[in-house]
Amino acid sequence: MEMSQMNGASSLVASLEAAGVDVMFGIPGGAILPAYDPIFSSSIRHILVRHEQGAGHAATGYAQVTGRVGVCIATSGPGATNLVTPLADAAMDSVPVVAITGQVPSVAIGTDAFQEADIRGITMPFAKHNYLITDPADIPRAIAEAFHIASTGRPGPVLVDIAKDALQKMTDFKYPTSVSLKGYQPKSAPDAQSITDAAELITQSSKPVFYVGGGAIKADVSRELLELAQILGAPVVTTLMARGAFPDSHPLHLGMPGMHGTVAAVTALQKADLLITLGARFDDRVTGKLSTFAVNAKVIHADIDPAEIGKNRFADVAVIGDLKHTITALIPALKLALAKSRPDLTPWLRQVNALKASYPLGYDAPKDGSLSPQYVIERLGKISGPQTIFAAGVGQHQMWAAQFVSYENPRTWLNSGGLGTMGYAVPAAMGAKVGAPDTTVWAIDGDGCFQMTNQELVTCALNNIPIKVAIINNESLGMVRQWQTLFYEGRYSNTNLESKRVPNFPMLAEAMGCVGLSCERAEDVDATIEKAMSINDQPVVVDFRVHRDAMVWPMVAAGTSNDDIMIARETAPDWDSQEL
Amino acid sequence: MAQHTLEVIVENSPGVLARVAGLFSRRAYNIERLSVGPTSDPETSKMDIVVNLEGHALEQVIAQLDKLINVISIQEILPNSAQPVIHDTQPDYTN
Repeated sequence: MEMSQMNGASSLVASLEAAGVDVMFGIPGGAILPAYDPIFSSSIRHILVRHEQGAGHAATGYAQVTGRVGVCIATSGPGATNLVTPLADAAMDSVPVVAITGQVPSVAIGTDAFQEADIRGITMPFAKHNYLITDPADIPRAIAEAFHIASTGRPGPVLVDIAKDALQKMTDFKYPTSVSLKGYQPKSAPDAQSITDAAELITQSSKPVFYVGGGAIKADVSRELLELAQILGAPVVTTLMARGAFPDSHPLHLGMPGMHGTVAAVTALQKADLLITLGARFDDRVTGKLSTFAVNAKVIHADIDPAEIGKNRFADVAVIGDLKHTITALIPALKLALAKSRPDLTPWLRQVNALKASYPLGYDAPKDGSLSPQYVIERLGKISGPQTIFAAGVGQHQMWAAQFVSYENPRTWLNSGGLGTMGYAVPAAMGAKVGAPDTTVWAIDGDGCFQMTNQELVTCALNNIPIKVAIINNESLGMVRQWQTLFYEGRYSNTNLESKRVPNFPMLAEAMGCVGLSCERAEDVDATIEKAMSINDQPVVVDFRVHRDAMVWPMVAAGTSNDDIMIARETAPDWDSQEL
Repeated sequence: MAQHTLEVIVENSPGVLARVAGLFSRRAYNIERLSVGPTSDPETSKMDIVVNLEGHALEQVIAQLDKLINVISIQEILPNSAQPVIHDTQPDYTN
């Protein structure tokens, strides 16, 4: 690329264009203002959000749906600090995001200048990497490196903080054709020996389980995973971050493991003699009390991040590399190994299928005739169909959305799994809809979550981003209330939001340029969803007014063993009737 | 518990000491002793980090340190051995 003279701001925008950015979410302000002048005439679509947190989650939603890097942009000080939550969120869920922030002029850095915040220092503990740029000549290289780092290896957020004077000064623009970083060379192909060892260990197992995590979505390996699972014929569990990586309708699928996982998925992991771990990280919400987790299982741990190997659980075989390479190599290796020695998995499959049949996910209709939240979510999944993208907030509605929607395709389920960010759903759905404009996008949100970030519905209404929002309104911080019911003797300290009285959600939606609907009877649910589905030129918000005391089951209480899973209050599965 | 000395070669860039110190703090590990100095290459610096860790915890610290983009290499210096143990959890780029 030839060199040309321009100011740092133009160099930044030219660099973003060269990096292939087609859309970014942001808000201007003093320190970033020079960049907004070339943005005005750029081919990049800039979506003006109403709060920087919305920009960050929108970038995340866009990235999770498209697999591309999501981009957000904000000014210095409060603009930048408002990005902290979404960037921490993207770090926990390994989402490729690049954040651009303006910084006070370089001479003012360190003087507590107006709107000064050390955002590089603030984001250092969780960002995959970050930059503070004070020389305009460094802008193209920093942008190229940021996109490279965010999107390769284990994806994650990268922040580029640029001093205002670096945006204003003249510089030569030349975008680097390649990126070379001495300290960053992520491994893509695993060692051949580790593949052979993994295949060998699999043939020695009579109770294997595929423990599939979010890495399977990031690596786009659903097709390969399906083939691998079918070659072995072993059961599969998909974690909260992996819902959709393997079809829910597949007979080998036992559902989601973890704190609110199915009895079959949780118990299969507990009783397994081998965990074939693919892009998962032994999170505490999956393992329960770690010392009691899958005590008889050997572990194959395939991950692109070497630091995950052995972090929480010892790995008998570590396979370090891109899951695409790993599974592609494992398929022929396993075929070869199974041709020599094929274990009989029939008794194991009989056991796990008996659990699956005995303990399907379910719920009781509320005795007082009020609307069941699980029923609403189940109908949303059924009526919208398997191509629909769902984004959830955090809490009971998130767990029900993970449980009662059937996911058949990768990148159709978005949620804040690691950080547990209330308020994620609406802005993430907005980013998802921008990334997949021809697909129906539903945000399944709680009344608590919705009140944290609903301002982005204005952005949606004004920018032709017609998302649909189902508020599961139980007028409570429902998951916290559930814990208060179970562990704090029903003392409901500060969880009553009274959101069936205030705000009036349909009116609030209408005020923000959306269509507002309401539903509180089971017999009206289908017609309400169908009405929402028929509106495609405006965002739609449905206030589903549901029973407030519905609880999420099954449940493994925090800090307890997965062996102590409860299917209802004070009700354990009938283990005596199971052959385990 | 035995002390281990890690010789960490880092890029000589602003903030790199904060990144390394912050990593120890965030992952709840202690640094016993730390010294930072130049190398023959002006673009790199050398950190000698003494830690009171072994086994799994030592491996985790090394693996997490290696994830820092500005960390180029990590060697464990053994007192009575001519051969340093080279830790490289990110082998050659094979893409």
